[in-house]
Order: sequence, then structure tokens, then C-alpha cells
Amino acid sequence: MLTKTKIIALASIGLTQFSGYVQAETTLNVVSAGGQNMVDYVKTYLAPKFEASHPGVKINIVGTGPGDAGSHKILEKLSAQKNSGLEHWDVDVAVVHQKIGGEMVADGLLAKYRSDIKTGTLVTRDSAENALGVDVNGYVMPMFHSQTAIAYNSDFIKTPPKSYDELVKWTQDNPKAFGYNGIKNGMSGVSFVTGWIYAYGTEAATLSSAPYNKDIATSWDKAFSELKAFNKNITFTPGNAGTLDMLNRGEIFMGPVWVDMFYSWKDQGKIPPSMKLSLIAPGMPGQPMYYVTPIKAENAQLAREFIEMATSPDIQAEGIVKRFNWYPGIDAQHVQGNLDKATWTKLFAEITPNDLSQYGKSFPIAPYFDDIKEGYERKVSN
Amino acid sequence: MRSSTSYNLWLIAPAALMVGLFFLYPLFFSLYSAITTDEGGLTLAHLEKAFELYSNDILFTIIIVLASVVLLAILSISIAALITLSPFRSIVSLLGFIYRIPLFIPFIVTAQMMRTFLAKNGLMNNAFIASGMLTPLETVSFLGWSGIIIVFVWKQLAFCTLLITGAMAALDESQIRAARNLGASRIRILFQIMLPQITPTIGVAMILSTVTIMSVLSVPLMIGTGTPTMMATDMAFRINSYGDYHVANALGLVSYLICAGLAWFYLHQSLKEKGAI
Repeated sequence: MLTKTKIIALASIGLTQFSGYVQAETTLNVVSAGGQNMVDYVKTYLAPKFEASHPGVKINIVGTGPGDAGSHKILEKLSAQKNSGLEHWDVDVAVVHQKIGGEMVADGLLAKYRSDIKTGTLVTRDSAENALGVDVNGYVMPMFHSQTAIAYNSDFIKTPPKSYDELVKWTQDNPKAFGYNGIKNGMSGVSFVTGWIYAYGTEAATLSSAPYNKDIATSWDKAFSELKAFNKNITFTPGNAGTLDMLNRGEIFMGPVWVDMFYSWKDQGKIPPSMKLSLIAPGMPGQPMYYVTPIKAENAQLAREFIEMATSPDIQAEGIVKRFNWYPGIDAQHVQGNLDKATWTKLFAEITPNDLSQYGKSFPIAPYFDDIKEGYERKVSN
Repeated sequence: MRSSTSYNLWLIAPAALMVGLFFLYPLFFSLYSAITTDEGGLTLAHLEKAFELYSNDILFTIIIVLASVVLLAILSISIAALITLSPFRSIVSLLGFIYRIPLFIPFIVTAQMMRTFLAKNGLMNNAFIASGMLTPLETVSFLGWSGIIIVFVWKQLAFCTLLITGAMAALDESQIRAARNLGASRIRILFQIMLPQITPTIGVAMILSTVTIMSVLSVPLMIGTGTPTMMATDMAFRINSYGDYHVANALGLVSYLICAGLAWFYLHQSLKEKGAI
């Protein structure tokens, strides 16, 4: 009897070990563009939650680096797997920038999954349907939205500029006190330049929607020469974080920054409370990051469940808004109920929902975007 | 005899294959991409675009490299000479320890250190202000071309000094002793006996430093601000922002040519000295 019990005990232990081994074999591969904070978010927040609700599933998260470059690597990998005719691709969920998300849909790399998940109906904003001119309806779920704005030191500046015109005048009165990072050192500078073209070149609505008209770019010469003159009155900073660094050290008093990075630094005490934000007319661009799943993902069903969890109102409230100060990917009213009042008001303290709807613009469609960047290289920095 | 030749060929095959696969193939592929269209036809359009948009940056890169290399040569030879010729052995051994430190610090860490050190309100200027040597209004930011040169020289100095000290130590001790017995000063020993014999090593150190400096991306990105900037930044920008490998490779071709030019100059000089030309 005793031996039998022992055998049963040993067998059950053996089985549990074995079944544990079998279960752990399912690995969900999540690949994320963006900074290390994006990878950490999946690793420390989403993965434990998902693994707890899906025993035996293990999440493997890989980061491909910040900016469009990171997203580009994912695009190149999926294209390579498509071209080599693989039956199953080794990426289940990818987090990509708006521009590359559109290119992936156009290249036929992504699955149309939004109608398969319950949270698919919670997003109605334009960026879930249109990625810089490409129809992405059904293929993407926004993870969050980020916005650029002008940060300023309220100890020295009592009435911040409300428009590009006022900013230009301010820099003439206060030479070298405004700083941005050009276009090669980070997206906040690119965003500032894009806003400049919206202000003095062609309005955002035209540039952010198809079709592409090659002639439009030729009318920007005056805008670029004015920008070249503007650049003489300002300080160049080394990167997004460089702008915040210089604001913090008092080397500049104003500069364009990403809103989420600004609030996170403020929370961590890396910039003083006197720093404030202003979104100037006619607007500056922001962008979403998308959750997508490749058309031949190995664990397609699990990928959908993962995205469903990541875009549910409570995760969006706790993970996206509260932890990272990002604007939620799904519509804000679904998130509001899950947030305390202080967090909610902090997110909209300096840039009101009204400012956001009026001055929060999209980036232009890819060919115009390239025209703006190359025009800057040709006419402003050359 | 025949069989032993083929046997020897088999011995080098793995190494040759590796060199071919991982060094020659990517090199020629990128050169090929710089002068061909997507369809495979020959074109100079990418090179033209590279020069049209980035000629200032190419010039800037050359000036930065030359300035850094000249400073490197002066500083590393001075340190190496001090270490080799100084009579104060305990100070020399301390110096010998300190100058090696940059060898163990990666470029990106150096760039980050210097970013807070060289900024207008950074550590260096604050120290000057605290000691009363400068007022806050007199401070200047070194983030820009001067900062880039400072970082490159700081980082490469250890490497060059190590090579040059090694070459000086390998010289025949009796020559130096003989010169000293005949009353030569230390400066004279350095310039007339040591330096002429170690010119090849100095050349190698400078050329390797040039190639390293041309290939570093983190320093111009983190220290450099605005325009012009170094070619590595432009190459990264072409790929990351436009997905344009052709123009990036065209810029790569230009930097190969700059390095090749230097290498040719060095080889030509050293062959001439040996009387081969």
C-alpha cells in the first residue's frame, strides 16, 4: 500500500513536472519598436498579467529600438519571412509606429483582426482607421497616443506663445533661449518642423490625407527660408532627452518635447515643477503606436487575446495613462471610469481636451513627410 | 606534392570562407548598392544626391577627423615620451595606469559622460564658476564640433599611447644610452633617435583611429547639435527615416574612399622610406 502511494505520489509529481514542461512550450513572441520603456511595459506589466490568466503560455518580448527605425526592422523581418514562403512567422504580436503600420498593411503583412476582439469597438478615432493616408481599418489597435507640445519654464515665461507666429517673435526677443533637436536627432524636432510646414506651408488636413500631389512640396521654399532664418536665433539640442536636459539645466527656456516623456520626467523629479506645456496653433503632430498581428502568426488566437487584454479599459487606465502618462489608445470616455480624478486631470491639466482636438494634428502621409524632411535637408540645413 | 597542396588549401578553406562571407560579401554588396538602381542598372544618382545634400557634412567629417588625429598624435607622443624617458619612475607608473582608463569605457558611455560635463551649465563650467574663474554669463557650451573632437581625442588617446609606448619600449636600449653618454638631451633623443624609428607605428595608430572615428555614431548623435554633422549620422538618418539604403551606401562609399586615401598615403610614404619607390 505504502509503495503504491509512493508510486502514485512520484508519478503525480512527475506528471506535474512534465505537464508544466508541455505547457511552457507555448511561447507568444511579442516584438516592440520604441524605447526601452515600451519593452519594460510588456515585460513587467502585461506579460505577468497575461501569463497568470493563460497558464502555460510564456511571453517572449523583443525590443527593436526607438523611432521609425525600430518599426522598420520589424517590417523588414516580416517581409523576409513572407518572401521566403514560410508557413508560420515567428512574430505573434508587434507594436509599431503609425507610418510603418500603414506600410505593413499595404504590403499585405498583417491580419485583419479588430472585429475578432471585444475591445475592437472601443476605438473610433481617426488614427485607428487611417495611418498617414493608408486605410488600416480593422488591421490595427492603437496602444496609446503621444503628442508633442512646447515645454516652457513658467518661472521666466508668464505668457507662453500661443502660435508659431508668436513663437517666432519670442525667439527674436530672446535669442538662443528656444531649443529643438533639428530633424536627425529625434522625433520631437521632426514634429516641430512638420508643424512649421502646417503653419507656413500647406495646412495639415491636405498633407495628412491622400492622394499625393507632387507639386505641393514645391511651394514650401518661403517656409523653409524663414525656418533657416529662425534657426539662427535658437539653440540646437542633442535629442528629445537633450531638450529636456537643457530645459532642466536652465540653458534654454523653451522647446518642443513629447508630452509623455515630459510628464514622466516631471514625476521622477528630473525636471522642476515650474515646467509647463503649451500646444501652439495651428498645431503640432502626434502619433499612435499600434498593436498588430502578422497574417501568418504562429499563435494567432493567443495574439488576439493578448491584444484584447492590452486594450481593455482597466489596463489602458492603469498601464497606459497612470504609469506612462500616455493618452489612451481606445476612446477616452471608456477609460475615464477606471481612473481617479487626480490622474485624469493631470493628463489634461495644461493641454485641455479642447486644445488637443483643435491643435493635435496627425503626421503627413509618407510621401509629403519625406518631402518635408528632404526639403529641410536641402534648403534649411545645407 | 599535388595532394599536399590540395590538403593545404582545405586547411585554409574555413577561414577564407568566413572572411568571404562576413567581410567581403557585405562590403561589395554595399559598394554595389551605392552605384546601382533597384532594378540593377548602373547609376550615379545616389552619389550625386549624397554630394548635393551632404557635401557640407562630408567636409565637416574630414575636418573633425584631421583635427582629432593631429591632436591625438601630439598628445599621445608626449605622454609616451614622458613615460619612456622620465626619470621619475613612481609618477610614471601612476601615469601609465591613468592613461589606460579610457580603453575600458565604451564610446557611448564617454559621450553620455561628456554630455553632462561639457554642457553650458555642466560640471566643467560649474566647477569654473564655483572656483571664481568664470561668471555664469561667460560660460560656453562645448556641445558641438569642439565637444566631438574632445570626446574622440579623449577616447582614442589611450589606444594610440599604448601602441606608441610599446614601440618606444621595443627600441634598442643601447642606442638611447649611447646618445645619453654623448650628452644628448631627452628632447633630442626623442626627436632624432626614437621618433624616426617608430614612424610606422604612429602611422598605424593614426589610421586605425581615423577609421574608428569615422564609424562612431553615438558621439555625433549625443554631443553634436544642429548642422553640419558627421557622415555616420546622415547614413543612419537615410536608413531610419527614409529606408533609403542606396544613398546611405553612397555615403559609405565616400567614407571608404576617404579611409582608402589615407591608407594609400601611408603605404606610399612607408614604401618610399624603404626605398621601394
